[in-house]
Amino acid sequence: MNVSRRKKSIIQAVSILSITTLLFGCSNPNEGADNKKNKDTLTMAWPRDIGEMNPHVYNPSQLFAQSMVYEPLVHYAEGGKLEPFLAKSWDISKDGKTYTFTLRDDVKFSDGSTFDATIVKKNFDAVLKNKALHSWLGFISKIEKTEAVDKQTFRMTLSEAYYPTIQELAVVRPVRFLGEAGFPKNGDTSKGVEQEVGTGPWVLDEYKADQYATFKVNKNYWGPKPKVKKIKVDIIPDAESRVLAFEKGDIDLIFGEGAISVDAYNQLKVTKSYKTTMSEPVATRLLIMNTKKKQLADERVRQALQYGFDKKTLVEGITSGLEAPADFILPPNLPYTSKLNVEKRDFDVEKAKTLLDEAGWKIPDGKKVREKDGQPLQIEMMYDAAELVQKAMAETLQSEWANIGVDLKIVGVELPDQVQRFKDNKFDINMYSNFGAPYDPHTFVNIIGTDGFGFKEAISAYPNKTELLQDMKDVLKTTDETKRQAMYAEILPSLQDQGALVPISYLKKMAIYQNGVTNFKFAANRDESPFAQIGIK
Amino acid sequence: MSVYILKRVGSVIPILLLAILLLTAMIHLSPVDPAEAYLSAAHIQPTEEVLAQKRAEFGLDQSFLTQYVTTVVRLASFDFGTSYVSGKPVLDEVLLRLPATVQLALSSLLLAIFVSIPLGFLAGIRKNGFFDHLSRGIAFIGASIPSFWLGYLLIFFFAVQLDLLPVGGIGSPSHVILPAITLALPLIALYTRLLRTSVIETMREPYVQFARTRGIRETVILGKHVLRVAIPPMITGLGMNLGKLLTGTIIVETVFSWPGFGRYFIEAIFDRDMPIIQGYVFLAALLFIGSSLLVDLLQLAIDPRIARKGGNRR
Repeated sequence: MNVSRRKKSIIQAVSILSITTLLFGCSNPNEGADNKKNKDTLTMAWPRDIGEMNPHVYNPSQLFAQSMVYEPLVHYAEGGKLEPFLAKSWDISKDGKTYTFTLRDDVKFSDGSTFDATIVKKNFDAVLKNKALHSWLGFISKIEKTEAVDKQTFRMTLSEAYYPTIQELAVVRPVRFLGEAGFPKNGDTSKGVEQEVGTGPWVLDEYKADQYATFKVNKNYWGPKPKVKKIKVDIIPDAESRVLAFEKGDIDLIFGEGAISVDAYNQLKVTKSYKTTMSEPVATRLLIMNTKKKQLADERVRQALQYGFDKKTLVEGITSGLEAPADFILPPNLPYTSKLNVEKRDFDVEKAKTLLDEAGWKIPDGKKVREKDGQPLQIEMMYDAAELVQKAMAETLQSEWANIGVDLKIVGVELPDQVQRFKDNKFDINMYSNFGAPYDPHTFVNIIGTDGFGFKEAISAYPNKTELLQDMKDVLKTTDETKRQAMYAEILPSLQDQGALVPISYLKKMAIYQNGVTNFKFAANRDESPFAQIGIK
Repeated sequence: MSVYILKRVGSVIPILLLAILLLTAMIHLSPVDPAEAYLSAAHIQPTEEVLAQKRAEFGLDQSFLTQYVTTVVRLASFDFGTSYVSGKPVLDEVLLRLPATVQLALSSLLLAIFVSIPLGFLAGIRKNGFFDHLSRGIAFIGASIPSFWLGYLLIFFFAVQLDLLPVGGIGSPSHVILPAITLALPLIALYTRLLRTSVIETMREPYVQFARTRGIRETVILGKHVLRVAIPPMITGLGMNLGKLLTGTIIVETVFSWPGFGRYFIEAIFDRDMPIIQGYVFLAALLFIGSSLLVDLLQLAIDPRIARKGGNRR
């Protein structure tokens, strides 16, 4: 063999080897994202890696996945009803400070260990090690003492009465329960857990970062056993790719808020080859008007702007039914928010014009924009540039309000920038949505009444601001249910009627699934997984 | 020659320092507070107490100069810090995802080489022939279709309609085909045209004409005298693009759910996860500088006159 031939064969061999390595390298052929049809496994798509399965941490852990493995003491059910869960009952002392929970005695963790008051206390103590981080959840910063009274009794003492405690115990994180085997030696779970041991119906089975996660049924589950054996979560970051994978049949279910585009959802819906469903309202999309700004300080201007746009057409036109027009600043299916008496402000251009005239904003001859003392009625609205619905709504409002002589400038900003500007009171009108179930209404009134969120400044021009702020503080300390209901019935309509908070639409979750999927039902809790009784044929 | 190499390596340091300076300045000038961005992404209400705690934890309460110096010292010792979001060391996160990105980038590079060399060569020797028209068509498509759209089209036809390949993910050789084509097409478009021009120019060279007059067989002339001379400029171009290829996988990784580092970087941007962003930009700068240095050294090996001239060329 001469030199050149040898060289040639070496080059050939190296090329073949490198191509093979590239194609097969770094991978195992069995790990693909494509799925063989399997009746026992439900495959869903999710945009982000599920993160660490630790009940006491936040991002990047995904709420729905945490809720599959870990469970709360209290369950947030439809209509904001708070039902016993891992705690079968509770007792609240008259002063509203001591909470005594009687725990279920038939609950085991996925590793077979017992769920009792000792492990509940251990979990609470682990959370309290990072009190500041969790202090956004009102009752955490008020906990003075936790006690395991006996095997089935857990007691918690607060520094002051705080009625939302039971409701806050229903949230997905950080007050859910990790088994003994999951705790690191120093008891501090904030840096990680040893094993993902929970009491929930699912156990993390397989996990490949950024690729997929598989959950299997917890054999020791105390409640009704799930109908499918496994749930596979395929991580597909791009919304259009999720739709394509769904159309191909690789994915059985896509769900979430804005999980796919409105167009894609409607396109799939009209084919009638798949099932689609929408949740009950989970939160409200609002306009927040900054009453500190000269133009918006006058209530008549704020009201005129509300009369000046056709909400029904705006919401239905832009969201094609994925959101519903909202009459109230909080969805009516939350605690204390149904049957509230608010002034309805339906689309009425003439009324809007009259109100603006009365407020002194008149249209000068030959001009289109109203003026007062030589100043044009210019207002700026900021929205999250990444959210297409917000952008379309801002553009529609711009054209609607132009008809009543208002010059609306719209500014798309990045979400963190939007939050910052809201906080710094550097806005005229902001688009906002509240936390929803299970956080509201108490979280909503709490952030309106607290410095540093932007709301307190935004309602500056309300004549009853001082009393309203006091009421918002007091309502959280109420121990009497009737009094609390009465207070919310005062606070919430007052916030809305004075026009700084304008409800636009109720946000809903969407789900689209293959015909074989059965019993799909959204959880009332916005963050909870909807897999309770889901099945697949 | 070694002096030249040392000089070139030395010149990299100020460029890296400048890159870190620009990066730190951009973070500093951004109206968004990473601590706040972290909290809002985690659905935590940003109370003043938590904000202060997070800022101190992230080192954001220090002065600009301190932040800059700390970053330089850290990166110089290859300590990329800890991700704000996951709390894990950035280097671990990078190393976990880098192999997938390298696999995708190199597959695309190989595909680009194997397609553009024969296509460019055939297009060059038969001007206005079938292959020339084909290469022109590919060049138009490759240069004008945005990669995300091409990705969707490929998925739609080959995965959904024909059911031949997977929609996305990683695992088997079939998973790499569509993303590699998406990433390689703009390269094929570019290098086919480059090689075509190079072949046409070489064929006009006197030594090719001379070889013909000597009666050497056309296949030998094309193989030995034309192709060999025409390929090196293209290889240089490919080398220059290696860094670009590795950092250009971001969109393709997202469309094809490819678990590489580009996709992770996008998430880090949304989360304002500064250590990850810093680490990525630093590595990208290193890759760009490294690949350009590699090309310089290759040229040096081919043409030693560069070193003798004191390395003034390039």
